[in-house]
Amino acid sequence: MVHRIMAAYKARLLEFDALLKEETIDVGRLRDLCFSGVPDEGGRRALCWKLLLHYLPLDRTQWNDTLNKKRAQYNHFVEEMVVEPARLSKNGSGNNHVDDHPLNPNPESQWGSFFKDNEVLAQIDKDVRRLCPDIMFFQRGTQFPCEVIVNDPEVERLHRRVTHSSLTATAVTRKGLGITKLEASNRRSAQTEDYHPLPPGSEAHWEVVERILFIYAKLNPGQSYVQGMNEIIGPIYYTFANDPNIAFRENAEADCFWCFISLMGEIRDFFIRTLDDSESGIGAMMERLMSNLRHHDHQLWNRLRTQELRPQFFSFRWLTLLLSQEFDLPDVIRVWDSLFADANRFQLPDPSLHSNDGIAKRCYAAERFWLQYENSAALPSGGCPGTAQQSH
Amino acid sequence: MAKKTYDLLFKLLLIGDSGVGKTCILFRFSDDAFNTTFISTIGIDFKIKTIELRGKKIKLQIWDTAGQERFHTITTSYYRGAMGIMLVYDITNAKSFDNIAKWLRNIDEHANEDVEKMILGNKCDMEDKRVINKEKGESIALEHGIRFLETSAKANINIEQAFLELAEAILNKTPGRDPQENPESVVRPDRRNDRGTARQCCA
Repeated sequence: MVHRIMAAYKARLLEFDALLKEETIDVGRLRDLCFSGVPDEGGRRALCWKLLLHYLPLDRTQWNDTLNKKRAQYNHFVEEMVVEPARLSKNGSGNNHVDDHPLNPNPESQWGSFFKDNEVLAQIDKDVRRLCPDIMFFQRGTQFPCEVIVNDPEVERLHRRVTHSSLTATAVTRKGLGITKLEASNRRSAQTEDYHPLPPGSEAHWEVVERILFIYAKLNPGQSYVQGMNEIIGPIYYTFANDPNIAFRENAEADCFWCFISLMGEIRDFFIRTLDDSESGIGAMMERLMSNLRHHDHQLWNRLRTQELRPQFFSFRWLTLLLSQEFDLPDVIRVWDSLFADANRFQLPDPSLHSNDGIAKRCYAAERFWLQYENSAALPSGGCPGTAQQSH
Repeated sequence: MAKKTYDLLFKLLLIGDSGVGKTCILFRFSDDAFNTTFISTIGIDFKIKTIELRGKKIKLQIWDTAGQERFHTITTSYYRGAMGIMLVYDITNAKSFDNIAKWLRNIDEHANEDVEKMILGNKCDMEDKRVINKEKGESIALEHGIRFLETSAKANINIEQAFLELAEAILNKTPGRDPQENPESVVRPDRRNDRGTARQCCA
């Protein structure tokens, strides 16, 4: 029995390898294989995700060109958006803006945008320090830190910018006549003990994620950073940074950035408040989910309705975060194999379009997936609101 | 028919800037545990805890909300049904305190007029990083006629007291639910006394 399972597994590995060696990769076949889960070994998952997220082209001969170009472009972003402003803040003046200074009211001022960025950065910093706390990974040092940032004392690290931005207050109390006492001590207690910054020369994985999110926010000023984006990056970065292929692992940051950009291109509307009630927004998505449920499992739909369990309580988070907060990381990664493998991955069909003939002609994998999850999912942590708990 | 396991149901809501510790406060109260690294709340979540007050079983349905602006469309729809709102700031984060005015405006706009409010200055165990002194918290609460406590979910300071006090305030307002009790005779919890306890704990 064990032999048979092993043989089947080996055959599956070979199937992946054969497919990934083709000069032009058959995307239909790739999706079929990945839908049932990508094997953990040999960096296959990282490679498949890069393909499924349209970062790597299907034509293998273009891979090197694409990777070189994209990685260089990302490094350029880091230089322009992280390193240069950091030098500016450290040295007190920009390279070519002699007249600029921290109190410059000019909206074009580098200093002005520096302080504005720090507000976004403060939010990102809070969230990356609580990314996947169930595992130790993000708190550990990366093997490939951003050299110019960790080794150049003139370059201030991103998280330092936000710890700087609030001054420590000192409480002065009067003790007797004319004697004042400074109460605050300089001792700093680590707020998030485990997610502390690493010493010069090294960098924790959460610091890398912080940089990716910051650059994303800079490049997308209209949307900027929204809570939850960290949860989308987490599993991708984890997968890439653990790639056994060192040439890939070394570039996990840049590759993750581009895959994140590509993924956000498909799901970004869920993160935009002004689109909540539009066709592409999260509100419409939740409605479609519920009408699908009503169509496929009327009993469950009715139960949720009578218990006033509105879709916002559970499906808002499921859909926005692609289920990443519902399971432990290894399970999230497995779920994402199937999700990314789906050609219509972030769409839900309108059940009224094919309900007349009684048979769903187009049963999308995504639909199956969401509904299966909904059927098996635990309700929110507190049980049912508004009613006494009922026994089954 | 299923037997009711409680006498009254109170709906509470936790609001405030992101990272001030709303989820930790709730978790401390519901599970009596603390975890420094909580994942950020996306949208809205809730927990339930049943307490006993003056011989009544009161089921508290406590809604925990995401702090970031983006989620306000989702979260403000819960203001209306809330009977009590806890507005949390972080005593080590001045911005979260400055935003109290903004949160109060949100309450005025979206909640019932007679909702019971309470301001909590959380993380009061972190004395060395404090930037908002207690008097500032007290005075903004006084100015708006709202209850106030400094709390620490980590050191378990005033968490239970905060929920009990808020629940008690709501109970005092629910005369119709209880014919045996004359609401006029109910003694309001002595707030000054509570503050005294808080000071003791946080010193």
